[in-house]
Amino acid sequence: MPTITIDGEKYQVDGEQNLLSTCLTLGLNVPYFCWHPEMGSVGACRQCAMMEYKDSEDQHGRLIMSCMTPIRDGGIYSVKDEVAEEFRGSIIEDLMTNHPHDCPVCEEGGECHLQDMTEMSGHTMRRYRGTKRTHRNQYLGPFINHEMNRCITCYRCVRFYNDYAGGEDLQALGRNHQVYFGRQEEGRLENGFSGNLVEVCPTGVFTDKTFSSHFVRKWDLQTAPSVCEHCAVGCNTAPGARESGNSNEPILRRITNLYHHDINGYFLCDRGRFGYEYINSATRIQNVLSVRQEDVISSTAEKGDRMHREINPQEAVLHLAEQIAMANQGKRNLIGIGSPRTSLENNYALRKLVGSGNFYSGLSQKDQELLHLVSTIQQDDRIQSPSTPEIENADAILILGEDIYNTAPRISLAVRQAARNRQKQQAKSLKIPLWQDSSVRQLEGDYSPIIFAGTELSNLEKITSNTLFESPEKVASFACNLALAISDPTSLSPDLEPSLLELITHTAGILRGSSKPLIISGTSSKHADTLKSVAQVATVLSDYKKQPTMLYLACDEVNSLGLIQFFNDGKGNLDELLERLKKNTDNQIPTSLMILENDLYRRLDKKSLEQLLSQADEIILLDTLLNPTSKRADWIFPASVTAESQGTFINNNGLAQRFYAVYEGKGFIQESWRWLMDAVNFCTEKPANLSAIAEWQHSTDLSDAIAREFPVLKALDSLGPDEDFRIDGLKVARQSARYSGRTAIHAEKQVSENPPLQDPDAPMSFSMEGIHNPNRSPLQANIWSPGWNSNQSIFKFQEEVGGERRGGPSGIRIERPQRVMPEWPAPSTPPEVAADPSHVQMLPLYRLFGSEELSNQAMGISEVIEAPFVMVNHIDAKAFDIHQRELIELETSCGTYRAEVRISPTIPSGTVGIPYGLPDFETLSPLLPGYASLRPAEAPAITED
Amino acid sequence: MSSLLEPELIEVMEHSNRDSDKFSGPLTAEEKEEIDREASHYENKSSVGLEALRIVQKHRRWISDDTIQAISNYLDIPVAELESVATYFQLIFRQPVGKEVIYLCKSASCWVMGCDRLQKHITETLAIEPGQTSADGIFTLLETPCLGDCDKAPVLMLGEEMHRNLDESAIDDLIDKKKKYHADKSPD
Repeated sequence: MPTITIDGEKYQVDGEQNLLSTCLTLGLNVPYFCWHPEMGSVGACRQCAMMEYKDSEDQHGRLIMSCMTPIRDGGIYSVKDEVAEEFRGSIIEDLMTNHPHDCPVCEEGGECHLQDMTEMSGHTMRRYRGTKRTHRNQYLGPFINHEMNRCITCYRCVRFYNDYAGGEDLQALGRNHQVYFGRQEEGRLENGFSGNLVEVCPTGVFTDKTFSSHFVRKWDLQTAPSVCEHCAVGCNTAPGARESGNSNEPILRRITNLYHHDINGYFLCDRGRFGYEYINSATRIQNVLSVRQEDVISSTAEKGDRMHREINPQEAVLHLAEQIAMANQGKRNLIGIGSPRTSLENNYALRKLVGSGNFYSGLSQKDQELLHLVSTIQQDDRIQSPSTPEIENADAILILGEDIYNTAPRISLAVRQAARNRQKQQAKSLKIPLWQDSSVRQLEGDYSPIIFAGTELSNLEKITSNTLFESPEKVASFACNLALAISDPTSLSPDLEPSLLELITHTAGILRGSSKPLIISGTSSKHADTLKSVAQVATVLSDYKKQPTMLYLACDEVNSLGLIQFFNDGKGNLDELLERLKKNTDNQIPTSLMILENDLYRRLDKKSLEQLLSQADEIILLDTLLNPTSKRADWIFPASVTAESQGTFINNNGLAQRFYAVYEGKGFIQESWRWLMDAVNFCTEKPANLSAIAEWQHSTDLSDAIAREFPVLKALDSLGPDEDFRIDGLKVARQSARYSGRTAIHAEKQVSENPPLQDPDAPMSFSMEGIHNPNRSPLQANIWSPGWNSNQSIFKFQEEVGGERRGGPSGIRIERPQRVMPEWPAPSTPPEVAADPSHVQMLPLYRLFGSEELSNQAMGISEVIEAPFVMVNHIDAKAFDIHQRELIELETSCGTYRAEVRISPTIPSGTVGIPYGLPDFETLSPLLPGYASLRPAEAPAITED
Repeated sequence: MSSLLEPELIEVMEHSNRDSDKFSGPLTAEEKEEIDREASHYENKSSVGLEALRIVQKHRRWISDDTIQAISNYLDIPVAELESVATYFQLIFRQPVGKEVIYLCKSASCWVMGCDRLQKHITETLAIEPGQTSADGIFTLLETPCLGDCDKAPVLMLGEEMHRNLDESAIDDLIDKKKKYHADKSPD
C-alpha cells in the first residue's frame, strides 16, 4: 500500500484510486463538482485543485487537479496550501458570476452541493455586479423541472444520462459562455433513470417536479430507511414526510436514493423515485368502509359492484371479532388470502389468524409454481444470485425471456455497466486507471457480449451483441439446446435451423470462454419451461466451469419470494381455493374471505374470480388503494403503505430487508396485522393461535415468531435493529437537528407545544431528539454531515468511497436448505404453425410505467402511461390485413378487449404482445400467456340526433 | 457590445427552426451519396455526423429542424447528438443565412486596425447588425475570432475567400461586386 503525505500527515492508502477519492475516503474535505464516485473523473470543473510537492525540499509545489492525479507512493500533497485555496475560491467565484442569487426560492437550497462547495471554499462575497447570462428552460415531462440559469457546466448530467444510463435525448448544446444542457426540443426525458439527474446535478438545474408541488427543505423532512415496493429488486430508499400545511397529518413528500452497496448503489429508477405519489392519491383508502345495503341508482356500476359508506372503525373491528369467534366455534369458514406486495409480517398475521389450512397465497397456480421454481433453482449450490456489483463485473451476459429494463430496472442499469467490461480490460492492459472516465470511454472496442432471447428487449438493444426474438416456447428450446451445446457441442440436433444453430454455438462458446458469465431470467414471461431450461444452462455451465454460475432471477413483486416461503410446493394458490369453495357449496357453514392487500382481478381470470367471490358470503378487504376487488368487498379496512409501516421484504436475491415507518398513516390507517390483532383482542375466548396474536405488540414480535416457525426465514430474528435498540441510551432521530416549526406548526389549533408522537415500535423517534449519526446504525436515512448538506455526504459514511456503509449492512440473506434441483425433462419443441388471426398467442409485454399496480396511481406516472395496444408482427399484419394505429378487437375467454394496433418487426410471428397490467388491460393480465382471436373493431354505429 | 450593466440578450435554443421552404425535407440522392463517400473514411456511420451536417449545409445553406431530423434518420444518430454538434460549431448554421456570409474578424490586431469602424460601415451600408441578413437576402454579417492574417489586418472572410487590408471603399467594392453577381445570376 502506498504511503502519502497530505498537509504533513502520513496516510496509507489504496493506490488504485485518484487523489480526490483518496482524500475523501480519508475524511478530508476537498471541494469538487464534476467527479462522481460512480462515474469517475473528467477534470472539467477545476474545483478540486490541490498542491503537489516534488519532495520535502520543495517549498512552492505545483497546482494539480486531484481528481485527475493518480496516487504516487511517497507523494506529498496539500489541501490547505494558500495557493490551492485561493485557486479553488476563484473557480467558485467564476462559476458564481452567472449563478443566480435565488437560493431562497431554489428547491436545491439546503441540500445543494454548490452551496456546500461555495461555503467550503470560503468564497462568501460576490464581487461581480454585472448581468448574468440567462436561458429559457424546457418542459422535460412530469418528473423533472428544468432551471438552466443555475447551471455551472460541470457536465455531470450528460455524463450520467448518456454515458452511464444510455439516454439519447439530453445533450450539451451550444458552446463557450452559452452551453445549454437540454433536449433537442421540449418533451419528456425518455430514459427511465432520468430522476437521478435530481441527485446527480450538483445544483438546482434538475429538480424533482413531483416534490415541487409539496416542497419542504431537506432538513424539514422526517425520514427512515425504507425499501422500494415497486419491483422485486429491493432498492433502498429514503422517503421523506412532513405535516401538510393545512392539517396535522403528515404526508409523504418525496423519495430519494438511500445508498446500498449491493443493490442500488447511488441510483434509482423513475418508477421507484416517482411512484410514491400513489400514497397521496385520490384512490387511497383512509377510512373503514362498509357496504351500503340499500339500493342505489347506479347506472355506471357494474353488476356485483358494491357501494360503501364510512363507518366507525370500532363497529367493523367488532364485526370482525364476531366472525373470528364464529370461526372458532366452527360456525364459519374464515379464509385468508395473502399477497406478494405486502410484508412477511402482514401475511404471517393473516395465516396465524385463519390457520395454515385456510391461508392462500393470493397467486394463481401458474404464478405460484413459477415462484417456487425460482426458489428451487436458487437453492441449488451450483447457482449463485449475484449482487449489483457482481452483475457490473460480469464479462458475458445471457438474458432469457426477461425484459429487465421494465421488470427489474435497476438491474438493467447494472447490465449496461457490465457491457463496458471489455473496454475496461483494455484500459487495464494499457495501464489507464478506470477512474479516468473519458480516456477509458474513448478506447475503441466492442461491448462485452450480451445475448438476449425473449419477446421484447427495451433500452438495451444498442448494447446487445445478439438478439433472438421468439415466443417463450422457442426461447425455452433455445436454452435447452444451449445447455447441450455447452456440455457437448456435438450432441446438437442437426435439424436445427442454421442461423439458430450458429447462435447457439456462438453463445455456448462465449459462455464457456468467459470467466464471469452471468445469466438473467425471471418469471415475467410466465413460462415454467423457460425457467427450467435457464436453470439447466446455469447448472451445465457450473459443471463445466467447476464454479457456481451467477444467475439473476427476477420475480414480479416486492415480496414474491418472501410470500412463497410460507407455502410448500406451490400449494395454497387461488385455483385451489376456487376448487375448494366450489366443492363446499353443500356445506351450510358460511364463508368469509379475508383479502390482504391484493387486487385479485390481476391474479385470476375474471370468470374464475367471479365464481370464487360468489362462493363467499362475505368479503373483508384490508388494502391501501381502491381497486376492482374493493368494489366487491363488504368491509374495507385502511392499511398502511410501506412508508407508513414496518416489516420485511425478500428481494430477488433472497435478501431479507427490513423497512421502517417513516411517518404514521393518516387517521385510522394502520398496518394490516394491527387490524387483525385489534379484532382478536375483542374476542372473549382465545384459543392458542389467537392468544399468540393478542400478545403481539410490535412488528418485531411477528418477525421473531416467523423466524421461530419457519427455519428458512430464521434470518428475520437477526434483522434489526429492534425497537429496544439504543445508542448511548437514545433512539435514532427521524427528524434532522434543524427540523423547523416544531413549536409553531400546530399553533392555529393550540399554542402550547404538543409532545412528539411516541413510537414504541421502532428504535427511532418521531422527533429531532436522538442520534443523528449514520455511522452508528443503518437506521439513519437522512444522510448529512457538517458542511455536506447534499446527498454527496454519503462518502462520510462509507468504509471507502463507493464501499459498504459504515452503519452496517441492511439485509440478511435467508438460508434456504441447499438442494440439488430435480432433472426436468426437456420441453417439447413447439410445432410450426402458420399464423392465424383466430388463434394468436398473447404474450405479456412489460412497461416501466404502467405494469406495476401501485405506481400506476401516482399522478406523474399516470400522465406518461401508454394507452393500451396490441402489438402485431409486421409480416402477420400484412397477412391479416391490419394496419398501424387501427382499432382492433381481441376476443379472449373472458371477454373482448379493444385497442390500437402497433406493428413491430420483433414480436414473434403468430403472437401478439399485450401490455401487462396497463390501466383498462389489468383484467387481461391473468390470461397471459394465452390464446385469443383478433378481428378488426367494428366501427361504432353513428347515430343521428 | 452591451455594457456590464445593461442586460445582454443572448438567445440560445430559442427558435423553433422549422422551415418548410426548399431547404428542408428528406435528403436528396446527391446529399446521401456525398455523405456515404465521406462515411467510407470512418469506422462507423455514426462518426460522420459533423461531415454530414457540412455536406447538407453546402446544399441547403443552413440546417433546419427538418434537415437535422433527416440526417438523424439517415445515419441513425440521435437528434440530440446532432444538435449538440451543430450548435457547437460556429460554421454550422441553425438559422437561415444569406447567400453570402461575411465573417468579420474581431480579434486584437483587427481591432487595433479599426474593425469596429468597418463593422459600422457594413451595418450602415446593408442595414444589418451582426447575426442579421440583409433585406435582399444576399448578405449575412457574423463576427468571428482571429482568422490568422493579423499582418494584413483588418480582414474579413466572404464565403470561403479572404479579403485583407480592408478599408471602407474596399468593402463597398466587395458588396457591389457580390450584389451584381447575384443580380446577374437570378434575374427576378
